[in-house]
Amino acid sequence: MDGLISFFASHYALRAETVLKRDGFAARLVPGPRDLSPNCGVALRFEYAQRERVTELLAARRVQIDGVHVYRPRTDEWGARTRMGG
Amino acid sequence: MPVIYFDNAATSWPKPPGVREALSDYLADAGGNPGRSGHRLSIGAARLVERARELLAELFNADDPSRIVFTLNATHALNVALYGLLRPGDHVVTTSVEHNSVMRPLRHLETLGVEVTVVACQLDGTLPLADVQRALRPGTRLLVTTHASNVLGTLMPIRELAALARASGALYLVDASQTAGAIPIDVDETGVDLLAFTGHKALLGPTGTGGLYIRDGVDVAPIMRGGTGSDSAYETQPAFQPDVHESGTLNVAGLAGLAAGVRFLFDVGVDAVETHERRLVEQFRAASADIPGLTLHGPRESRHQSGVVSFNLAGAMPSEVAQVLDERFGIMARAGLQCAPSAHRTAGTFPAGTVRFGFGWFNTAAEVDAAIAALRDIAAWIERGAPALENVQS
Repeated sequence: MDGLISFFASHYALRAETVLKRDGFAARLVPGPRDLSPNCGVALRFEYAQRERVTELLAARRVQIDGVHVYRPRTDEWGARTRMGG
Repeated sequence: MPVIYFDNAATSWPKPPGVREALSDYLADAGGNPGRSGHRLSIGAARLVERARELLAELFNADDPSRIVFTLNATHALNVALYGLLRPGDHVVTTSVEHNSVMRPLRHLETLGVEVTVVACQLDGTLPLADVQRALRPGTRLLVTTHASNVLGTLMPIRELAALARASGALYLVDASQTAGAIPIDVDETGVDLLAFTGHKALLGPTGTGGLYIRDGVDVAPIMRGGTGSDSAYETQPAFQPDVHESGTLNVAGLAGLAAGVRFLFDVGVDAVETHERRLVEQFRAASADIPGLTLHGPRESRHQSGVVSFNLAGAMPSEVAQVLDERFGIMARAGLQCAPSAHRTAGTFPAGTVRFGFGWFNTAAEVDAAIAALRDIAAWIERGAPALENVQS
């Protein structure tokens, strides 16, 4: 997943995960990287190519978002077996 | 002696399967601080909180879960609403059967310059709608009523009251302490603007949980400010829901238990709970009619009543009756004023109060029969001069 959505509050991050997964989108909660997610500790990884449909769906469900970013963290390369919970 | 628990209007007992496990699972497996960090234990805790929020939004038919904010209990939620909305010079309308969780904040706000109009209810708790309409005026900020009197069980017509409030430009706040989980509530269809609820009564969760629904577009100033896990670079309170009203770490274990309670209600159906409690009220009313000296207060028709009955036995104090019910019969009742002196003034039962039974989903017709038999015994003892009463008061 090469996209990241940042939020103002964890409520919206978790709400976004529920809403997106319910409609079959790939989504995973991760610790928000400080430079992209300054407002809230939790962010959501997703497929950047799906950004238009994803942001439309979130807006329709009144899930407020802070920003949409391309996100290819170097930590993806660290220890192939390490995965964040979610 | 088996315990017959008729104090569900104070707090429900027992809790359904799953509630204890939910608390225990949180402590064992998901012990992080919700919304503060990105690690899995924090996300796990946040998931529990947000699941509870979604379930409650669904239960009250609020389409946006962020409009539900969590509090410690209904009193806390009512304080958030009343102190967050009312300013000196504002006018608020309420009823004479309110619990002190509404009355005390309003009487305090009155000393700060808020004008309070209390509409008198009838002896059985019925609220005359015409009097509410007269009390509301252009510029009235808020109408606040209970959904059901915690003393008499009398139900308020919240749909009609919401319409009256809207017509005069006022907001409508409902205290659903007695009804959330026991009577279906649809905030969208009824037009209620704010709804305060507690988690530990008919929602079947643990104590220390409750919340407030706030309609989209209604701006309530926070009464507490502090850490929320959001906007952390700023020293001012975030303005968005739900964080604006949720400073400090939430009762995650309690909310996990509350979610389990609400899940149980979805399985059973709140309408089934309402029907069940109404049957018990009808059974009690019919069977108690010929008990000597028993006066039943509240509405004459159970369709205007929640699962609460309030009564007195002539010749005995309510506290004596409750004590004997507990010690001799294992029946748990609540005696006295039930934190609602104004409601008792309305019903003519101040200052002695009443004996109150609050029925719940886990009560049975056999338990009501047992209580009726016990009250007959007590009425007979009173008639004989009540030596037995003195004996058990050791």
